[in-house]
Amino acid sequence: MTLKVGIPRALLYYYYLPLWRTFFEALGLEVVISRPTTKTILDAGLQNSGDDVCLPVRLAFGHVLDLKDRVDVLFLPRMVSIARREYICPKFLGFPDMVRHGISGLPPLIDPNLNLYRKDSLYPFFAALGRNFTSNRLAIYLAYRQAVYTQTRYVQLLEKGFFPEEALAVMYQGLTEGREPGGDGPTVAVIGHPYNIYDPYISMNLLSRLARNGVRVCSAENLPETLVREQAARLPKHLFWSLGQRMIGAAWHYLQSPGVDGIIHVASFACGPDSLTGELISREVKRRGKPFLNLTLDEHSAEAGVVTRLEAFLDMIERRQFLPARESV
Amino acid sequence: MKGYLGIDVGSVSTNLVFMDENGKIREAIYLRTRGQPICALQEGLRQLAGRLPANTAVRGVGTTGSGRFLAGIIAGADVVKNEITSHAVAASTLVPGVQTILEIGGQDSKIIILRNGVVTDFAMNTVCAAGTGSFLDQQAARLNIPIEEFGNLALESTVPVRIAGRCAVFAESDMIHKQQMGYSLPDILAGLCEALVRNYLNNVGKGKEILPPVVFQGGVAANAGMRRAFEQALGLEVHVPPHYNVMGAVGAAILAREKMAGGGTSRFRGFGVAETRFKAGGFVCENCPNLCEVVEITREGEVIARWGDRCGRWSGSLGYQESAV
Repeated sequence: MTLKVGIPRALLYYYYLPLWRTFFEALGLEVVISRPTTKTILDAGLQNSGDDVCLPVRLAFGHVLDLKDRVDVLFLPRMVSIARREYICPKFLGFPDMVRHGISGLPPLIDPNLNLYRKDSLYPFFAALGRNFTSNRLAIYLAYRQAVYTQTRYVQLLEKGFFPEEALAVMYQGLTEGREPGGDGPTVAVIGHPYNIYDPYISMNLLSRLARNGVRVCSAENLPETLVREQAARLPKHLFWSLGQRMIGAAWHYLQSPGVDGIIHVASFACGPDSLTGELISREVKRRGKPFLNLTLDEHSAEAGVVTRLEAFLDMIERRQFLPARESV
Repeated sequence: MKGYLGIDVGSVSTNLVFMDENGKIREAIYLRTRGQPICALQEGLRQLAGRLPANTAVRGVGTTGSGRFLAGIIAGADVVKNEITSHAVAASTLVPGVQTILEIGGQDSKIIILRNGVVTDFAMNTVCAAGTGSFLDQQAARLNIPIEEFGNLALESTVPVRIAGRCAVFAESDMIHKQQMGYSLPDILAGLCEALVRNYLNNVGKGKEILPPVVFQGGVAANAGMRRAFEQALGLEVHVPPHYNVMGAVGAAILAREKMAGGGTSRFRGFGVAETRFKAGGFVCENCPNLCEVVEITREGEVIARWGDRCGRWSGSLGYQESAV
C-alpha cells in the first residue's frame, strides 16, 4: 500500500507545492492535499489554535485537522529561512511544534528544517527528508532534481501571469488556457501574503470580485525574483523577512509601472511583519500618488466591509480617469 | 416636478432626499432605522410622497449606506453605490473645492481626502465603533440629556476634562470617575468630544494629509461640541454643510442623475411600494460546509432577491447580483 503524505493547503503551500509534491511522488508516495478552505476548516482551526497567533496560522491548524485522519504522515517543514541572510516569520518556524502540542491523535509529523540562512543548496534538506522514506540515496537525489525542475516550471508559469491555483491546474489538471486575458477595466496590483490573497475564502473572493468588474489583476508572484529584489534593495536597510521583501519589491515596481492604475495591500490582522511592510508601502505610495487601499483581514471580517472598501477603491480609480466628465455635475 | 431620489439606509438612520433637475434639494427626510430598514424605508417613502406635489416624476433612484442592496431591491434603484463615493460626490458638489471630508455616522466613521474634486484617499473605522454616533447617543442617554442638547452643553465648558478616548468602554468608566469627582457636566461632555476627536484622528485619520476646506458631515456633525473639538485639534475651520445629516442620500441622488443622464427609464417601483408587503427571511444553505446564511427578500410572497451565499448558487438563480463588486 502506498504511503499517504498530507500537505496542508495553507501558508507556503502557494509557493512550494510543486517542489514538495514532485519529490514525494518521485519516491513513490501518494500526496494528499487538504480541501479548499471552508467555514468548517476555518472554525476547526480557530478552536484548536492559540488566541495569540495570526489568522493564517490558525487557518493552517484547520487544514492540518482536515488531513489528520486521511493520511499516514503529515509533512510540515520547519521553514526557517528560504534565502541567504533572511528569515521566514517565526510563527512558521514554530508551526510544527504548535501543531504537535495543540492537536492530539495526529499521524507522525515530518518536520525537517529548511534553513538557507547560510547556504544556498536545498539538497541537504531533501536528503534529510528523503531518509524518512528510503535509504536509496540515488533515488532521493533524482527525486530532488525532478522536484527542482518542476518547481522552476511552476515559477515560470507564475511569471507568465498565472496565479498559484491556476498554475497548479495547468500543471496537474492539464488546463491549457488558464486565466482569461482580463477585462477592459483598470489594472490593479494586489500585494499580500500568498496564503491571504490566493485563498478565496480568506480573501472573500477578492481576486474574482475584481475580475468580475473587468479589473486586470497582477501580483507579486507574477514578477521575477531578481526584479523584486532589485526594487527592495532600495530600502535603506536590508529587509530580513523574505515574504515582506517580495511584497515591498513588488509594490515599488508596480508603483512605477504606468500600466498599473492602483494598488491593494492585503494584510492579516495580528501579523507583525505586515504592519511594517504595509507602512513602508503606504509611505512610498504617498510619494508616488497612486490609488491605494489597505485591506486588513481577520476572522471577524464581514463581507460588507470588504465590499464597501473595494467599491470605493474602484470608484476612486474610475472617477480619477474621467475627471473632466465630473465637472459637469 | 421631475427629479431624482436619493436613499441612504444606514445602521442608525434612514435618509431620503428628493433633488430636482437643477440639483436643488427639495425635500430631505431623516428617520431612525430602529433595526427595521424595510419599515424605515417605506415610512420615508410614504412621508416623501406626502410632501411632494402629485405630479412628481422620479427620473432616477440611487441607494447607498450599509442597507443599500436591500433598499435598491425595495425601491428599484438605478444605481447602488457605497457610502464613501456617495459622501464624496455630495460634498464635492455642495462645497466646491473641498479637500477633506470628516464623516461620522451611527456605526461608522470615515475620512475622505479629495484633491481637484476627486477622491485620492479614504479610510473607514475597522471593527471598533468607539467615537461614532451610537456611543454619543448611549452616553447622552446615560446622563439623561437629549442628544440634541449635547453639543450646546459641551460648548458651555470652560475647562474640558481629559477623558481616555482609545476605547468606548474605558471612556465610559473614565467619565463616570470624573463625574463622581464633581466635574461639571459641560466640562465632561466637552472632554468626551475631545477624546472622540483624538480617537478619530489617530485611528481613521492616521497618516492622512488634512487640508482645508474641511467638511464635517454625518449625523454627528449636528453636535456643535464635536465640531469645535475638531477645529481645535486641527487648527482649521470646519464647515458643516446644509443637509449634513443626509449627505449620503444627496450623493446617491446626484449619482442617480449622472447615471440617467444618457436617458432611459428609471427602475423605480413607485411610491406605492410603501404599501407593499416586503419580508426579509433567510435560511442556512447546507449544500457545503460553508453553511452560508442566505437572505431572502419577498414581495407579496414572491421571492425577489437573495444574497449572502458565497458560491452564487442562490443569488445567481434569480439573475440578481448582490453587488457590482
